Amino acid sequence: MTVVSIVTLICLLLAVFCGLVVGPTSIGTSRIIGSLFAHLGIGHSTLDTMQTTIVWQLRAPRLVLGLLSGAMLAVAGGTYQGVFRNPLADPYLLGVAAGAGLGATFAIMDVGHAVSTPTWTPLIAFAGAMLAVGCTWLIGGRGMSSNASTLVLAGVAVAALLTSAQTFLQQQASANSIARVYIWLLGSLASASWSSVNLALPYVLVCITICVLCGQALDVMSVGEDEARSLGLPVRRVRTLVIIASSLGTAAIVSVVGLIGFVGIIVPHIVRLVVGTSYRRILPISVVVGAAFLVFADTIARTAVSPSELPLGVITALVGAPVFVLVLSIRRTQQ
Amino acid sequence: MSAIDIKNLTVKAGAKTLVNDVTLSVEAGTWLTIIGPNGAGKTSLVETVAGIRKIDAGSIAISGEDIRGLSERERARLVALVPQNPLVPGGMSVRDYVALGRTAYHGMLRAPSAGDRAIVDSVIERLSLQEFAKRNVATLSGGERQRMVLARTLAQSTMVVVLDEPITGLDLRHQMDLLELLKKEVADCGLTVLATLHDLTLAGQFADRLVLLDHAQVVLDGPARDVIRNAELASRYGMQLRVVDVDGADVVVPVRS
Repeated sequence: MTVVSIVTLICLLLAVFCGLVVGPTSIGTSRIIGSLFAHLGIGHSTLDTMQTTIVWQLRAPRLVLGLLSGAMLAVAGGTYQGVFRNPLADPYLLGVAAGAGLGATFAIMDVGHAVSTPTWTPLIAFAGAMLAVGCTWLIGGRGMSSNASTLVLAGVAVAALLTSAQTFLQQQASANSIARVYIWLLGSLASASWSSVNLALPYVLVCITICVLCGQALDVMSVGEDEARSLGLPVRRVRTLVIIASSLGTAAIVSVVGLIGFVGIIVPHIVRLVVGTSYRRILPISVVVGAAFLVFADTIARTAVSPSELPLGVITALVGAPVFVLVLSIRRTQQ
Repeated sequence: MSAIDIKNLTVKAGAKTLVNDVTLSVEAGTWLTIIGPNGAGKTSLVETVAGIRKIDAGSIAISGEDIRGLSERERARLVALVPQNPLVPGGMSVRDYVALGRTAYHGMLRAPSAGDRAIVDSVIERLSLQEFAKRNVATLSGGERQRMVLARTLAQSTMVVVLDEPITGLDLRHQMDLLELLKKEVADCGLTVLATLHDLTLAGQFADRLVLLDHAQVVLDGPARDVIRNAELASRYGMQLRVVDVDGADVVVPVRS
């Protein structure tokens, strides 16, 4: 376990290094580290104004947002897989993606003539995501027969409905808006700024903490909800708590970076392969691995075809899908 | 004092009545087995006692405490359940699985304490599961698995244990082994057992008292020997039964008509 922790922390440090140092403008590692210490009040920065802006206004917020997004999506995916006891569960299971997509499309279309995506898009996307999860909860939770699969089915229905509404809206849009909606849907960290970090940070920190603390409870729930209740776990309360935490955190991330697929599925599965099936171990390790994974993926996204960028969602799927297939085949041979 | 006190209990699922106005009590340190045809309401009754089904009318008290007023945690310290089809989460080790029985003591946010782990180890030893302790639960045989589920239930350290068809799918020897283990716990620790069984011979041999349930109601209630030898038993199953005495033990044999 300690070996795993050390390896994952080294990966995280490497990711942070990539996030700050790798880029089209080459700036020496030592000078970036010097500037970092200068920020902490030790020594003086040797970066010029331009370089300071690149490192601290472009790369750093993008790095932090990447870390937050990867950590949140990975831990939310792992949590959903535990609470729904379904290995296919991802953070978008209850309609977060469809709701945020509809909100963002609405926001972008509303100012169809503007050149860039409006700054309040994240807020509308967040509202859309929370609305979607709220609908899923109301439909699936009615009668409170304490059945998780009803909730999943309600999520599918809500997502289908909102996606069709989003497609309809998109049909009505100008070519310019369609392109921007499309880019938003693919997910990107390109527009990351300290203000987007500030928008997501409080939600993400609280939600990750709640999910990780509930690892023990999710282990108990792996024997099914009825048995978990007979073992003394307040199943309904735990389920409500972790679903709200995962959805809220995911919605906050989706609203600032768009839809980044696959992280929530592959990261927990890879971690599970290494540390076993206990959520007490899976969730905290997923936080670190997810954060590092997304920053690595983003480093590829912004450097592979420099100066232009690849959509981050394309990279996570491109790297993620083969890794996932590999994980599945390893798991099959283990069994 | 009664360990389990069920008064006028009614349990429904939609319009269907699963348990209809059942009243019975189980003395502390004794074994009561519920028998009856399929669909009689045995599982519903024991699941309600274990607190995973809603009470529609009447009351259940465990060790004098009405279970409706208790939180999940408080209730799980009074009564433990061996379900009919326990869900075994592949990948978990046997020790971790048995440790789930301590959930009601360490809470949902904290890991098992040293005290919890000591109890888990002692139960594992009592049920001779040491050699399996590190094994993946998915690799156990049916008999080993049921023993592990029983270990989890005993790790819950309750004075009342409810078992729903605990020997289904086991061969004869493993059926006997499991029931003997349980009988020993009753004798050694003063455990109170409420079980459902389909095998009438084993039901008669292990229980102090038998209750025949049919159409959601109690039909017969009495010492095992009396219930087994009551003519009503065969008629409720809708078949001919013969009870044979083998070295003082009642053996129930079905007869083709």
